[in-house]
Amino acid sequence: MLQYIGNRLLQMIPVLFLISLIVFMIMHALPGDPAQLMLAGAESGSVTPERLEELRAQMGLNDPLVVQYGRFISHALRGDLGNSIRLRQPVTQLIAERFGYTLQLSMAGLVVAVVVGMGTGILAALNQNTWIDTLSMVIAYLGVSMPLFWLGLLLILIFSFQLKWLPPAGGSGFKALILPAVTLGFVSAGIISRLTRSSLIETMSEDYIRAARAKGLPQRLLVGRHALKNALIPVVTILGIQFGGMLAGAVVTETVFSRPGLGRLIVSAILWKDYPLVQGIVLFLAVIYLGVNLLVDISYAWIDPRIHYGNSR
Amino acid sequence: MTYASSAPNVRRADEPARPSTSRARRQWTLFARNKGAVLGLIVLTLWAVAAVIAPHITPYDPLQTVDSARSAPSAAHWFGTDRLGRDVLSRVIFGARISLLLGIISVVLGSIVGTFFGLVSGFYGGLTDNIIMRVMDAMLAFPGLLLALIIIATLGPSIQNVMIAVGFATIPQYARLTRGSVLSVRESLYVESARVIGGGNWRIILRHILPNVAAPLIVLSTLQVGNAILVGAGLSFLGLGAQPPTPEWGLMTAEGREVLGKAWWISTFPGLAILSVVMALNLMGDGLRSALDPRLGEK
Repeated sequence: MLQYIGNRLLQMIPVLFLISLIVFMIMHALPGDPAQLMLAGAESGSVTPERLEELRAQMGLNDPLVVQYGRFISHALRGDLGNSIRLRQPVTQLIAERFGYTLQLSMAGLVVAVVVGMGTGILAALNQNTWIDTLSMVIAYLGVSMPLFWLGLLLILIFSFQLKWLPPAGGSGFKALILPAVTLGFVSAGIISRLTRSSLIETMSEDYIRAARAKGLPQRLLVGRHALKNALIPVVTILGIQFGGMLAGAVVTETVFSRPGLGRLIVSAILWKDYPLVQGIVLFLAVIYLGVNLLVDISYAWIDPRIHYGNSR
Repeated sequence: MTYASSAPNVRRADEPARPSTSRARRQWTLFARNKGAVLGLIVLTLWAVAAVIAPHITPYDPLQTVDSARSAPSAAHWFGTDRLGRDVLSRVIFGARISLLLGIISVVLGSIVGTFFGLVSGFYGGLTDNIIMRVMDAMLAFPGLLLALIIIATLGPSIQNVMIAVGFATIPQYARLTRGSVLSVRESLYVESARVIGGGNWRIILRHILPNVAAPLIVLSTLQVGNAILVGAGLSFLGLGAQPPTPEWGLMTAEGREVLGKAWWISTFPGLAILSVVMALNLMGDGLRSALDPRLGEK
């Protein structure tokens, strides 16, 4: 097991390297001049060519790209992602301040997705080809076809403005988390629901289930004790991808509900042309995403004993 | 390459490179029997027609103030007016042009580049394959929206850049799918015979391999157009795509956000339009999937 985890960590290194390279290349292929932007944001009217050149040298913008990339990587490895041009604070500090909100929202969204998705999926599988099944299918289609931001606004309209049950915006408290979490979780709920359904239907037709049914086990135990355990394995494997979707969806959800977080920060950073900040957040989110997928793979190997880690991989 | 290596694929040898009429008819019957898929096709056709003839069917100019601001839906304005007094229905109809175009152009961009890489990767194999697929893996390590955000950050917010960004984000999916399909037909008899009679690499790829990997690509594209419309609208909602006064659905939804409590219709109808188009595409894509390639099964 340890060897497997070690191998997977080693495999992450080239991927991380490539990601950092892609992000760096894209951000530096652009025509804009960060030094000019930085001065434009500061004291206006005093942008002299000398001052510009001084700043370019100071930021190392005159060095060859390879040197710049090397410096970027070596700083990043030491936990230094540079400074935000607009906010004049270290990028890592800004990320640290906001990440909690995004993580909280993503986790809550995942909980909604798993509970609703698995619940409706199991119901649909056990009531195959009835109206319950059809309903869960309609919900799943709605989930993948509905714009997140629009669902969020609809929920605000209904639960905040009409019923006045929940606050329409804000970043603190459990009540303020409910609507964003439902918005964010809805897309994944549909996907998880369909997967749970087909997986459970397949499992229910296996021999060992028939054997358990033959010996007179009641349906509830049959499903709960025997079928679900195996049926949920494929569902667990997609949770990592779904979590990545949550991080991306948080960008939109945080804007809709005016919540602080990394998603809103990156949108602002893009509008401000604050490249170090954009670069840092993207890199950070990619690392988190890879890390979560690693965790999911490990838990997958742990849940399903048929998977052998080590040499066979 | 020996005969033994292609043995498992022998049954494919009699399959023509181009589907025969009877096969196409059978696929159409399969598609037509799927009620959801047909509904999707109808809804999509309606939107496409509306987009093309938009100037002739919209009651008002989508960019002009035609009534008092934020009037509720009425006989004169079925979808009400927005905060500048523009007719929401007219803006929604014109919005179909932008969203459909965005979906199609970005998917065409992404599919051409991605399919090219997939063909090369699968056909040549070896180091080329390895390098291309590692880069694709790294791109897939980003959620699509994040990838699109980086491009927008670089190029700046505009609807054209959204098309490029969304197209770019779909490249790895096409590359992967094409590569897998190429690997499964590369060793087949008809490819081998084409080689024996002296067909060049690119001739074989374009004439013999591409038509045989087209079915899953068509299915993916249908679903991707829907996805591209969603992501594009999302970017415009965030202010990173279409700019005012463009009648773009995502942007219109955002414009109604501040007055949501007073004028629900400004945000609601554009969102409903997105939902109907994307749902139609998803229904159609799933119908196409089961008609074109029964092996792919349900999602």
